[in-house]
Amino acid sequence: MPTVLIVDDEENLRELYRTELTEDGYEVLTAANGKEAMELLQRRLPDAVVMDIRMPEMDGIEALGKMVARYKELPVVINTAYSRYQDDFRSWAAEAYVVKSSDLSELKKTLRKVIEKAGKGR
Amino acid sequence: MRILTLILAGGKGERLYPLTRDRAKPAVPFGGIYRIIDFTLSNCLHSGMKEILILTQYRSFSLEKHIQLGWNILCNKLGEFIHVVSAQQRIDEMWYQGTADAVYQNLYMLQQFRPDLTLILSGDHLYKMNYKELIEFHLSLDADLTVATVPQRREMSRHFGVMEVDADQRVVSFQEKPLEPRCLPSDPDKILASMGIYVFNTRKMVRCLVEDAKSHTQHDFGRDIIPRMVQSEDKVYAYIFWDPETKSPRYWRDVGTLDSYWEAHMDLLGEPPVFDLNDPDWPILTHEPPAPPARVLEPSTGEDESPRIARSMISNGCILKARSLVNSVLSPNVRILEGAEVADSILLEGVTVGQGARLRRVIVDKRSVIPKGRAIGYDLAQDRRHFTVTDTGLVVIPTDSVLE
Repeated sequence: MPTVLIVDDEENLRELYRTELTEDGYEVLTAANGKEAMELLQRRLPDAVVMDIRMPEMDGIEALGKMVARYKELPVVINTAYSRYQDDFRSWAAEAYVVKSSDLSELKKTLRKVIEKAGKGR
Repeated sequence: MRILTLILAGGKGERLYPLTRDRAKPAVPFGGIYRIIDFTLSNCLHSGMKEILILTQYRSFSLEKHIQLGWNILCNKLGEFIHVVSAQQRIDEMWYQGTADAVYQNLYMLQQFRPDLTLILSGDHLYKMNYKELIEFHLSLDADLTVATVPQRREMSRHFGVMEVDADQRVVSFQEKPLEPRCLPSDPDKILASMGIYVFNTRKMVRCLVEDAKSHTQHDFGRDIIPRMVQSEDKVYAYIFWDPETKSPRYWRDVGTLDSYWEAHMDLLGEPPVFDLNDPDWPILTHEPPAPPARVLEPSTGEDESPRIARSMISNGCILKARSLVNSVLSPNVRILEGAEVADSILLEGVTVGQGARLRRVIVDKRSVIPKGRAIGYDLAQDRRHFTVTDTGLVVIPTDSVLE
């Protein structure tokens, strides 16, 4: 069962993603910000990360940089309400960029794709 | 068209030790009054590149001080700047892993400036180059990356990254320090050596840097980024730094070792010099301490004897009572006392050579004092016990040495 780490400061969203992705057969881990995510990664490495950008403590841009530096093979999907971060060079290290939507089908499709790709790379 | 210039100045310069004991390689003095980085910075200004970041890492105090004192000449109000950016661990808690990583770790800066093109230069090369020509070449070919190259003799290939090009100067292969190099189509005795100078379309560069950051490589432009781009058939071209008429290479030196540092000084001294600094079209700018013109006196008091002085550069503030000074470069405020003899040597700022002392093929770093009657460079076995002596027999005396 593939494992995915959801990093988002909105608890409701974390729970929504947990429910939806668990139904799809993922094991879901959650963190409320980049700092929590980095701590969690030290204990457990998921198959992919889905991460918001605007978060307290440590934002998604900073956490993305650290994730790339420390876990080179770990694919990160940026999932934010703002499309303008897509043009920010610092977000380009992400494997994919998905603008938040109430419909999770794009996120799910992207997640499948990046996990498949990472699996092939190994 | 917005162009940001990044000057890489973060190398340790270990092969220049002890000159790099207390300073970064670009801050090593050169040619009497200059620091090595002055050549690259002068090129930038004469080429109209006035948005410059200097990326430093190790022992950068001396470099930062020099930039502050000598290069505070751009107009901030016109959007011009030279900023020294030290390694900041913006991405993670680590030093720069390679040249490409140095730029990757500064994505924040690139994001701030959003340049169309990024010009990547090295802070430790000696040459006079108009980067405008390089940029025009890059734009005319709609290249993703243009690498500046210089023709070198085939047998030098193991010192360089070697580019193989087609008739349009498109790079078709890249070899890092090969023993069996691929040569110029027009001249089988010559290779095209990478000068470590690159023009990138910024967006393309960022894509490549990010890809490289996620790979287990040495994170080096020459070893990793360029070969990968050539392999994936990105548009990589080689600009050739030569006289387009005669095809003779222009002067370019990477002063990587003590011997090449010394040889580059000797290039300043012939007639005409191999590397001419008396160039009104391309003056090299620097910071110089205030000092009066040099004074040359008789080698001994009371005698009407003329010193023999030839093929040498003598900076301001020097006072010479040398018996002879030949083939040498003196930085400001050097004192050569009565009857001393100096040949084939480089004396940096504030050095004193005592009465009757003799130096031959010696580099003396700042403020060191050579005592009365001492001979250095004549008995290498003896010199090796106290100093760095290179394979060619060059003796190097570190900063602030007071010899017995």
